Amino acid sequence: MRFKIPPLDWPLAFATLGLIGIGLATVYSATSVPGAHQGLWAKQLLWFVVAAGFAWIIAAVHYRFYDSISWPLYAASLVGLVAVFAIGVERLGAKRWIELGPLQFQPSEIAKLATTFVLARFFDHARLDLRKVRWWAPPLLITMVPFVLVAKEPDLGTASSFPAMLIAMYFWAGMPASQLLLGLSPIFNVALFFLTGSVWWFVGLFIGVLAWARPRAVVLVAMLALNGVVAVTLPKLWNHLHDYQKRRIETFLNPEQDPSGSGYQVIQSQIAIGSGGLVGKGYLKGSQKALAYLPMRHTDFIYSVVGEELGLLGSLTVVLLYGIVVFRGYRLASIARDGFASLMAVGITTALFFHIMVNMLMTIGWAPVTGVPLPFLSYGGTALIVNCIQIGLLQNVALRRREY
Amino acid sequence: MPQGLPQRDKDTRFGVLAGLAVAGFGLVVLGLLRLQVLRHDELSRLADQNRVRLDVIRAPRGAIRDRSGRILADNSPSFDIVFRPAPVESTLRVNTVIASDWLARVAGALVADSMDVRRKVQEANRTGQTAILRRAAPYAVMAAVEESRSDLAGIDVQVTPMRRYPAGTLAAQLLGYAGEINDRELAERASKGYGLGDLIGKTGVERMYEDALRGEDGAEFVVVNAMGKRVTTLEEGPPRLPVPGHDVTLTIDLTVQHALEDAMAKVDRGAAVVLDPRDGSVLAMVSKPEFDPNEFSRGISFSRWEELNSNGAFPLLNRATQSAYPPGSTFKVVCMLAGLKSGEVQPDSHMPTSCNGGYVYGGRRFGCWFHSGHGSLGLVDALQHSCDVYFYQLGLRLGLDPIEQTAREVGLGDRTGIDLPAEAKGLVPTTQYYNQHFHTGKWPRGVLLNLGIGQGELLATPIQLATMTAVVANEGHAVRPHVVQSIEGQANFKIDKPIESGVVTDAANWETMHLAMHKVTLPGGTANASRSVPGMDVAGKTGTAQNPHGKDHALFVCFAPLQAPTLALAVVNENVGHGSDFAAPVAGALFKRLFLPDTANVIVRAPRPVEAVQDTAAD
Repeated sequence: MRFKIPPLDWPLAFATLGLIGIGLATVYSATSVPGAHQGLWAKQLLWFVVAAGFAWIIAAVHYRFYDSISWPLYAASLVGLVAVFAIGVERLGAKRWIELGPLQFQPSEIAKLATTFVLARFFDHARLDLRKVRWWAPPLLITMVPFVLVAKEPDLGTASSFPAMLIAMYFWAGMPASQLLLGLSPIFNVALFFLTGSVWWFVGLFIGVLAWARPRAVVLVAMLALNGVVAVTLPKLWNHLHDYQKRRIETFLNPEQDPSGSGYQVIQSQIAIGSGGLVGKGYLKGSQKALAYLPMRHTDFIYSVVGEELGLLGSLTVVLLYGIVVFRGYRLASIARDGFASLMAVGITTALFFHIMVNMLMTIGWAPVTGVPLPFLSYGGTALIVNCIQIGLLQNVALRRREY
Repeated sequence: MPQGLPQRDKDTRFGVLAGLAVAGFGLVVLGLLRLQVLRHDELSRLADQNRVRLDVIRAPRGAIRDRSGRILADNSPSFDIVFRPAPVESTLRVNTVIASDWLARVAGALVADSMDVRRKVQEANRTGQTAILRRAAPYAVMAAVEESRSDLAGIDVQVTPMRRYPAGTLAAQLLGYAGEINDRELAERASKGYGLGDLIGKTGVERMYEDALRGEDGAEFVVVNAMGKRVTTLEEGPPRLPVPGHDVTLTIDLTVQHALEDAMAKVDRGAAVVLDPRDGSVLAMVSKPEFDPNEFSRGISFSRWEELNSNGAFPLLNRATQSAYPPGSTFKVVCMLAGLKSGEVQPDSHMPTSCNGGYVYGGRRFGCWFHSGHGSLGLVDALQHSCDVYFYQLGLRLGLDPIEQTAREVGLGDRTGIDLPAEAKGLVPTTQYYNQHFHTGKWPRGVLLNLGIGQGELLATPIQLATMTAVVANEGHAVRPHVVQSIEGQANFKIDKPIESGVVTDAANWETMHLAMHKVTLPGGTANASRSVPGMDVAGKTGTAQNPHGKDHALFVCFAPLQAPTLALAVVNENVGHGSDFAAPVAGALFKRLFLPDTANVIVRAPRPVEAVQDTAAD
């Protein structure tokens, strides 16, 4: 019998392996200082073996199976998200984990996959017409339920990947860009308000979008009303946030205001990355890392260790590898002939891309500190397994890209 | 998928998503370029500041020794609990929020007021300077801090030399004390390289010889971790070692000092000085009440400072050099000398009016201390019995100028120039002084009567009185009193202020002076109590000075042995009564201790061990 090389997406596979390799090496370096975390790289290696096994199985099972179980899985994940409030384990003020004997897992990660499946299944419908309310409203509801539950844990970082995924899938399913932008206008409204402190930026953009989309009168009035409501309720919403969430947003906008709290993390991260320069201080030689100035250096801020020890060269290599992953993900979506597979690939790739962005921009000080790990690099078993499952799903699509 | 969607549309949408990805990663690349290329230098510097700290190595202050090399002040290691602000925080100069649980733990471990700790930490964060939260921490506090130091950010233990005065209160005002520099001293001495937290001599020898005693602090670059804990010393920058201060050797003789302290044990307020008349070196100096300079080394609380300064006793005041008293009858020595010198009187000269307990002049009666009267006495006997009536008339006969001139020649009326800070000037009135006081030509001759017995405007410090006695003992040869004999590293050290000529007169007159002062200490004289050592002749003069603040001050000056004087002594005992009862016995006790060691009491004032008081630091 002749062995035939499976038609995996090899650039995706190698980029992923490369990132995991860099991750292991960096975890080793970040925990090389004597202390509580020493030796974690070995544990991470073990996690990788487990995660690779998961990816293999996930890739081997035909995606039709995931299509078929999407609704029950979705329902189960919602039960898990509710259960986390009752029996969840609290860590650092947030309940995100459920313990089943020796196993610990985050229901939010399962919900993320289940929601992707359900959305892909929903959008992959013969009569889909996203200009009609009964077609565009259900995906919004499907996404909002887990989003709210995850945000309540609270886990704002993971939660915000739900809407990101939804927006990409709306777009992929054929929603006109102008309509999408109009629908997203309340979000831009909020973002621009926080960034610029003035409403006029948004007003200008909104008029531009209106001119492009030329919506019907009913829609126009509805969107104007919605944006009005957002503008009014924004301050109230702000008051509703947890103190630490508020502080993080404030700190993001002005990190030097609080250099001992989360501002300290950002400043130390910037110092570590910046002091790395072009080629870095050398592997295992980062002083900020070694002297513990860098907080969470083997988890959320691992990219700062890369920046300090390997410099711009190492940082850009990591960016390049992520670029390959994201590019291949979207590419697979566009070449897959099956609708479910294609949509699933977009959803998964967007979730990955979103997490990469949130973490990297956080370490360079251009996004708030949200506690999102960097896929494939940060230490953590659950995250690594979930990320590998995502890659497994993308490879699943790659293996069957010619099928209808 | 939207099976309905054509592949062409899918490609367009892929293009949009890929474009978003490029934009996102492009943003990250821009951020990296900004940090690693544009801000690289600045952030590298911050990274170094993060991990490298300049630590001061305190130089030990020079020791102070007595003339035989016995230690009067030295240093012992003090374990200070300090807060070192994080470099980033001090770089950004922000008032960081101090976590309440951190504060509670630190205050608990230090047994200190949390408001006080908060204030010091905030100040340290603002200035970037290390703050001493607790000086000379006792063992229990040290143990509590060591236990939790690894997770109390910024808290460190610093070992610095602390000033120690092994003999406690002994010669406290003479030695003075050293303490942390204050804002005013810092402003005055900024150019001399003083910095915040430096130790500086505040009073006494510590202040006068600050430049010699003070060492030169060293420094080293140390690598610290995020908790502010020292990890290692930076190899690139070798430490600059501290240069210890120079030892200062005093003229003080610890044996004499102990003897004088014991002799003064019963004096509540007052002072005593022992000089070597041959060269003016101070052998012992006591000022009462005393204080313990060790208290200041440990850091004195504001309330204790208030206490030391508020009860009117002013223990920090060195009464031997900083308090001026009316000399009373001790000044009769000057009048007698002035009379002999001018030739107006002879040793056996009688005055026209004999003493019947008083003398009437200008319609006013001036009393003699001996109310039943001395009768008619010669000059020598008048001094022996301290007859006021005789000296009223002598004052009148001599007039102001000869008395004033002789007073200045023996060292009264101006600072002796002793090497101790803030010496008082005393006062000897001049013609000009009275002219200003009473208007020219209008002043009554009655002032001369008072001058004759050392009352009125006259003021003298105990060191001036001792100097005066030394000049008389030296037969006119003037000396400058001083407390420092030598300074380590200064081979040619000398107190080299020029000395005034002294008193020039016939040897016979000195013989008369010595005879009269000797008779003072013989049976029948006013200071028989000072003659405690058989075979050793003492020459002296008592004084009882009236003053507006209660009972008379008791005074006594003397020198001994009469034939070859090696000691000149002045004693002032405030507000107790007659000099013969309350000052002369001090001299007697001193001589007994010094010259009859076998019969002397055992040394009652053994040096107090410093360790015993260390844990009682209250602040």
